[in-house]
Amino acid sequence: MDILSNLALGFSVALSPFTLMLAVVGCFLGTIIGALPGLGPSNGVAILIPLAFTMGLDATAALVLMTSVYYGAMYGGRISSILLNIPGDEPALMTTLDGYPMARQGRAGDALVLSGVASFVGAFLATIGLMLLAPLLAEVAFLFGPPEYFALYALAFATLGGLASRNQAKAALAAFIGLGISTIGLDNSTGMPRYTGGNLHLMDGIDFLVAIVGLFAVSEVFVFIERHGVGSAVGVRLGRVTVPFRDILHSGWSMLRATVIGFFAGVLPGAGASLGSFLAYTAEKAIARDGDSFGTGNPKGVAAPEAGNNAAAGGALVPMLTLGVPGSGTTAVLLALLMTLNITPGPTLFTERPEVVWGLIAALLIANFVLLVMNVPMVKLFVRILSVPAGVLLPMVTMVSFAGIYSISGSWFDLILMVAFGVVGWLFRKLDVPTVPIILGILLGGHMEASLRRAMVVSGGDWTYLFSSPIAVGLWIAAVAGFIAPMFLRGLIRRREAPEVVTDGD
Amino acid sequence: MKKTLTRVAAALTLAVGLSGAASATECIAPANPGGGWDFTCRTVSKIMFDLGIVPEPIQVTNMAGAGGGLAFAHVVTERNTDEDLFVAASSATATRLAQGAYGGMNADMVRWPASLGADPGVLVVAADSPWKSLSDMVEAVKADPASVTFAGGSAAGGFDHLKVLMALRRGGFDDIRAVKYISLDGGADALTQVIGGHAQVMTGDMSEVVGFLKAGKVRVLAVLNEDRVPGFEDIPTAKEQGFDVVAVNWRGFYLPGGISDAAYDKWVERLMKVAESDAWAEAMAANGLAPFPKFGADFETWVRGNIEEIRALSKEIGVIQ
Amino acid sequence: MTRSDRIFGLVVTLGALAYVAGALGIQTSFISDPLGPRAFPMLVGAGAALSGLAIMLRPDAEPDWPPVREFTRIGVATAVLVGYALALQPWGYLVPTAIAAAILSWMIDPRPVRALLTGIGLSVGLYLVFRHALGLGLQPFPRGFF
Repeated sequence: MDILSNLALGFSVALSPFTLMLAVVGCFLGTIIGALPGLGPSNGVAILIPLAFTMGLDATAALVLMTSVYYGAMYGGRISSILLNIPGDEPALMTTLDGYPMARQGRAGDALVLSGVASFVGAFLATIGLMLLAPLLAEVAFLFGPPEYFALYALAFATLGGLASRNQAKAALAAFIGLGISTIGLDNSTGMPRYTGGNLHLMDGIDFLVAIVGLFAVSEVFVFIERHGVGSAVGVRLGRVTVPFRDILHSGWSMLRATVIGFFAGVLPGAGASLGSFLAYTAEKAIARDGDSFGTGNPKGVAAPEAGNNAAAGGALVPMLTLGVPGSGTTAVLLALLMTLNITPGPTLFTERPEVVWGLIAALLIANFVLLVMNVPMVKLFVRILSVPAGVLLPMVTMVSFAGIYSISGSWFDLILMVAFGVVGWLFRKLDVPTVPIILGILLGGHMEASLRRAMVVSGGDWTYLFSSPIAVGLWIAAVAGFIAPMFLRGLIRRREAPEVVTDGD
Repeated sequence: MKKTLTRVAAALTLAVGLSGAASATECIAPANPGGGWDFTCRTVSKIMFDLGIVPEPIQVTNMAGAGGGLAFAHVVTERNTDEDLFVAASSATATRLAQGAYGGMNADMVRWPASLGADPGVLVVAADSPWKSLSDMVEAVKADPASVTFAGGSAAGGFDHLKVLMALRRGGFDDIRAVKYISLDGGADALTQVIGGHAQVMTGDMSEVVGFLKAGKVRVLAVLNEDRVPGFEDIPTAKEQGFDVVAVNWRGFYLPGGISDAAYDKWVERLMKVAESDAWAEAMAANGLAPFPKFGADFETWVRGNIEEIRALSKEIGVIQ
Repeated sequence: MTRSDRIFGLVVTLGALAYVAGALGIQTSFISDPLGPRAFPMLVGAGAALSGLAIMLRPDAEPDWPPVREFTRIGVATAVLVGYALALQPWGYLVPTAIAAAILSWMIDPRPVRALLTGIGLSVGLYLVFRHALGLGLQPFPRGFF
């Protein structure tokens, strides 16, 4: 078979004891980088590119190292999400919602193993998808013009309602705050500054990493200062680490569905992994029979976003390789790496440089297996982090966040901004305003506005253009359904168990 | 296996040792990875190290922001005497300087050592488009401006947008506000929109369309160069189609303004060596760049002329007052 | 008591209106798209203002605010972090990190010796990790110190 012989070619290029060592080193470094708040897959790859050159690696070896770092970081992000309620990077955002509650119930080990397996399923199947369908899928990107993209982002925000369980207005407000923040900086289509006050540091907008680290990590420090470190070990009880076969089997279908959703979200250039994990989570919550237990430590709520974001990471490679369009920050960095190696991705890459493509695919498969094997024993090591007392652990998290942001941007301005986000995050926690929608708004706002404005240019201001294609209409229907369904369902549930359950005061 | 272990150990030691001295020579790419500036920095830096022009690998730093403005401000205010720093520049830099988009900073605040190549502008349609020549396109715009959407990687009023306006103007179409232009995140993104039929014409650089051209997905209506580009001789220039438009995106560098003349000369010499190398010739051919060697004082004069030209054009078209 | 949410809703609504007012001040370019750079911020601002009103009209139960003393502590912690951010560039990485980490550690859990050790350990340890394992540029001491 054609694919098998291609794959054999790939493995013959990419598999040697040396590259296997590189994969192990890359996966390990990537996991650490992913787990550190403030450093995500895109900076991870960017930071380690010089390493690849100083080591004098050839193209294939460099690719193996970098894809290992890429996938390692995608796996690693979940660790701090689950253990500390601090997403290690933006795709791991959704994993905090059920991962941290699981950890508080003493199931940290279970959550880590389960999410590791989900990551593997998502990434592995996405790699298969990339292998079988890449040239075909490249066509999907052509189908998406401005109205389709706008409908896609509208879908993401419409399903936010299903996310927040208590006060809808507060969830909506959080999303609007995020969207508002995304408008800060130079306006992409006219080049005019907005809300910058003439400050050059704001010209490029506010980096979502600064917002994530501030809202999640720094605010956590304030919470602990307020409580004098009571509830040490970050409120998580240690449990025995076993493989939770029951959870894995139970969430098998969730993983598969999340993989499909994540993969397609990744294929569309735009928001990539974050959108993938978000849509995977909300979809899973919507269809699960125990949907209302999402957010309180439902294993499916851990499995779905992890499978989704890793599948999206694989999907994002499709437009990068076949069109030269980087769908996400990380693939932009990988694209830069390829170009430095004198490989120009584009429609001819698959036919002209098969050894590169199939070598890369083989490298991805290798990285995945290495990560799966590495992760289960490493879980024990990670869970140990929780036995560090709060008085040491939280300063460490803060200092890591500062060092991460500072060493990338080199600017005190970003650090001050991060502290400000920390204070806001603390206040919002008190007021029960969810912070996840803020991050989503920052991540997607720019794309959303740009696609709306492009649509208006193309149509000359005719709003009906937004609903002019079957794809757009389909996405709008899904958006409306996603917006209404939670309200309807909530009404049903309320009627059934009349006096609403009092939520705990934490 | 033992050999592998030694290699890894050696490599790691080397990496650790080098990262300690990573502050040596630095190239700033004032944009995210993947674009033209990034390509220029990375390719030239790699060639310099491979040829032994510099003793250790050059660190490439991506400093995206304000269309290169953040990097420009950083160099002018914080690194003005750093002799080990060079920054990627192009026509986009010149365009922004010409339009005063760097907050009052101007081209005299830095020094310009060399340009190494040029990426000719192109106007591109999907392979199934009915238009075969530049005049087909211009006639279609004249007949109904609302029926044609142009897509490019730069902001409105940027270099890609100017190319379209120049071509239309030479073709006798002056109502520039009627021209529909959408800005995307880069040339490849713009091409995707054109191939998908969401926009009709992509305006960008030759290097951005090479892959799609080879795959037969697009047709280049005109290349905005003086002559046909080597390797793509079957693509007509705009000039020979009767539209006097030349718009090349040169690729070069600037240096901090406060460095010594000796340091400036050293950089000119280094870049000259790169320009003459086979590796650079290969990189250019692979990426659709045409040679565009200008060095030292020649280049300084040329850049100022280029900026003046763009300023005049932007005023004429009405992008700036 | 639901005062917090009423105040919060009011602040949000006013903030959103200010944001919309700010949108009116955005310069538009001579050549602009039909929607322009102001429309999206105005939509977002309107949405935020409506959410603010909704929060004001249907407030949640009062959150458990800490006593005033705790607010002072949060204020001090914020000041420490801001000072730390400003000190990094002129003073180099090691000394400010040790001081800031020690203070935070002491504020969370007042054990002076452990706080001190945490500060020193973190500053040196993280410096080594970031500088040497990840190859990120951190200046250990003030420029020109050695």
